Amino acid sequence: MIRLTQIRKSFGRNEVLKGIDLAVEKGEVVVILGPSGSGKTTLLRCINYLEKPNGGEITIGDLTVHCKHPSKKDIHRLRGKTAMVFQQYNLFRHKTALENVMEGLVVVHKVPKEEARRRSAELLEKVGLGDKLNAYPSELSGGQQQRVGIARALALNPEVILLDEPTSALDPELVGEVLAVIRKIAKEGITMIIVTHEMGFAQDVASRVVFMDQGVIVEEGKPSELFRSPKEERTKQFLQRITPEGVYSI
Amino acid sequence: MKLDPAFIWTAFIQLLSAVPTTLELTAVSVLCGLLIGTAAALVRIYRVPVLHPLASAYVTFIRGTPMLTHLLLIMFGLPMIIDSVAEGLGLPFRSVSIPMIGFAFISFSITAGAYMSEVVRSGILAVNRGQFEAAYSIGMTTPQLLRRIVLPQAFASALPNLSSAVIGTMHSTTLAFIASVVEINAKAQIVASTNWKFFEAYIAAALLFWGLTIAVERLTALLEKRIHIYNRGGVA
Repeated sequence: MIRLTQIRKSFGRNEVLKGIDLAVEKGEVVVILGPSGSGKTTLLRCINYLEKPNGGEITIGDLTVHCKHPSKKDIHRLRGKTAMVFQQYNLFRHKTALENVMEGLVVVHKVPKEEARRRSAELLEKVGLGDKLNAYPSELSGGQQQRVGIARALALNPEVILLDEPTSALDPELVGEVLAVIRKIAKEGITMIIVTHEMGFAQDVASRVVFMDQGVIVEEGKPSELFRSPKEERTKQFLQRITPEGVYSI
Repeated sequence: MKLDPAFIWTAFIQLLSAVPTTLELTAVSVLCGLLIGTAAALVRIYRVPVLHPLASAYVTFIRGTPMLTHLLLIMFGLPMIIDSVAEGLGLPFRSVSIPMIGFAFISFSITAGAYMSEVVRSGILAVNRGQFEAAYSIGMTTPQLLRRIVLPQAFASALPNLSSAVIGTMHSTTLAFIASVVEINAKAQIVASTNWKFFEAYIAAALLFWGLTIAVERLTALLEKRIHIYNRGGVA
């Protein structure tokens, strides 16, 4: 269970998050939508402290971090409970696919090497890369790299996986394979918060959709409700702009 | 005066006895320099309070003064400091018992450290921000991140500059003759003056240095090949 309370973040004078409240239950897949500059990526990055919020509280399981005065230990524990999948994959480029997945297990969680290797190989198998264990990121396509990224996040067995526009950097024909993997792990009941522009995918995979604009949550609800009958004017406008008429029939 | 080609060979053979000293001076300065340089680079990048301005001052002062000056300052200054400290503490130790090559080791390491710190710094700055974020996101601490992710990539990208620094340091060890250390160039001088064949002896020294430099270059190429295996797919 994740609870964000009054999360605030400013870059200089630019207030990007204006007090965000959000609760995510275990097993939920929450998709955050919003126009560019709405603060959705910043919010995601605040949850594991890649961005330092200026105020508010983050609770994950039994850990509550007060963002005004967080201790180093709290930040470290917070990161231990979350995992991130990046838009630009950010695989360790001097390590093979297998080593990328193993790294967190061995270095952070002190899992014995042999066991870490076995578990990592299984995860790579699961994301369809059983034959690429020893490939370096530079030898993989974008879609393959992102699937390694997902395996790396899964390996840590986090309470929540944060996915920051996981398909935005991909060639269109590679998007499908990554979304398929995310769908598969969503079905396993892993809690996820996803920032994405893939509307069809959002509708399909989300248990809840959150619409953000200008640093606040405008509206949230079940995908069927929010896509079909948005209540707020801003949500309507956004959905109209990005979804051609009639494409999203369920 | 006529060139005596045969003597070049004779001198060359005699110079070989000084190769270990040159290599020793180079190895110690490069290794200590790399340690000092990495520490200084990290202190400057992370803006460690108190140490940060000290590291910056160290780099600008050392790079702003000749290596020969460093050696002279260390040779004349360090014994004074050591002796007064030892005296103050009532220890029987005196600086006379330090071998002269010790001063060369210290001085060259300090010089190399300043140059290496800029090489390492450029390497660290070249590591993509995303690598840091990924490492933090999987729960690594900063020391783990540096050791496992950043420094390996930083050294890999700094390798060409690092090899230049190693070669530069090796050539600069010729200054050790000031401290009466007989490295290749000093040996050449000795061989030359005992036989009155200066040009031949210095040609031999030049060839020897060239050979050692080629060895360093080869070693670098080998390392580069190994380290950049992960680049074999082309763009990252």
